[in-house]
Amino acid sequence: MWKWIQAFASPQNFYQTSKKLIPWFLYPFIVLTVIGLYWGLVVSPPDYQQKDTVRIMYVHVPSAWMSLMIYVIMAIAGAIGLIWQIKLASVVAKVSAPIGAAFTFLALVTGSVWGKPMWGTWWAWDARLTSELILLFLYLAFISLNNAFDNPKTASKASAVLAIVGLVNIPIIYKSVEWWNSLHQGPSFSTQGVSMSDDMLIALLLMSTAFKFLYAALVLMRARTELLFREQNSRWVRETLMGVQK
Amino acid sequence: MSFAEYFEFLPYGKYAFYIWFSYLITFGVIALLFIRTRTMRKDILKQLRIKYTRE
Repeated sequence: MWKWIQAFASPQNFYQTSKKLIPWFLYPFIVLTVIGLYWGLVVSPPDYQQKDTVRIMYVHVPSAWMSLMIYVIMAIAGAIGLIWQIKLASVVAKVSAPIGAAFTFLALVTGSVWGKPMWGTWWAWDARLTSELILLFLYLAFISLNNAFDNPKTASKASAVLAIVGLVNIPIIYKSVEWWNSLHQGPSFSTQGVSMSDDMLIALLLMSTAFKFLYAALVLMRARTELLFREQNSRWVRETLMGVQK
Repeated sequence: MSFAEYFEFLPYGKYAFYIWFSYLITFGVIALLFIRTRTMRKDILKQLRIKYTRE
């Protein structure tokens, strides 16, 4: 297992293998999104309280889940890069950040346009919304810190530390609706079961699975580019781009 | 008449603006992620090819 990881994590090997992997994530993303959109916009019923606005859930909740999941992946990958000096892990951490920031942005914006008709306000400084906004700032700080150094190694180390420290925010976001009085509703998934109709659940799961495939595809595509850049002085990159020279 | 009311002709009537806006921005941002991924790759490839040709 360890050997397999090491072999896959070698930049050159990853570069070749990942190319074949990308379609396996890209096509499921497209298929699941199309079915998910149909389920979310057509099949699933309006909510008895929120009427049709409940449909915003099918993009809002998956985006919010992704914003948390990507942050955790980014911090773990950063830590792996920091501890074991695995280049690929640092690359994954770096390219994950803009994707995570995009999903955080989407969670905030779609939440805002959902809040307006339901709560009567675009924004409130309550625990869930504020901690999610802090998450966006953490992503932006990670991105700027990563770009602040000329040496990619130093950049990865500094930003990995930031990502690990910022992890404290994740349980705060997750638990915020239980710890504080919030405008935001409580979780619909809990140990007591799921509190929504089957068709809503299907639409939600389709979209959130689609987004996970999307993230995987984007990370692979971006990691390949970042690896070429970081490894620009090694022979395999030159040979990949210019062909084998005698 | 509020801004959202201009979009009542769309499906979901009085909530149309909020719902369609959410979906539009979501897939707009996803499209941007793909476009940015592509331009970044093209830029780096171009930059490296120039570097290797010069060497």
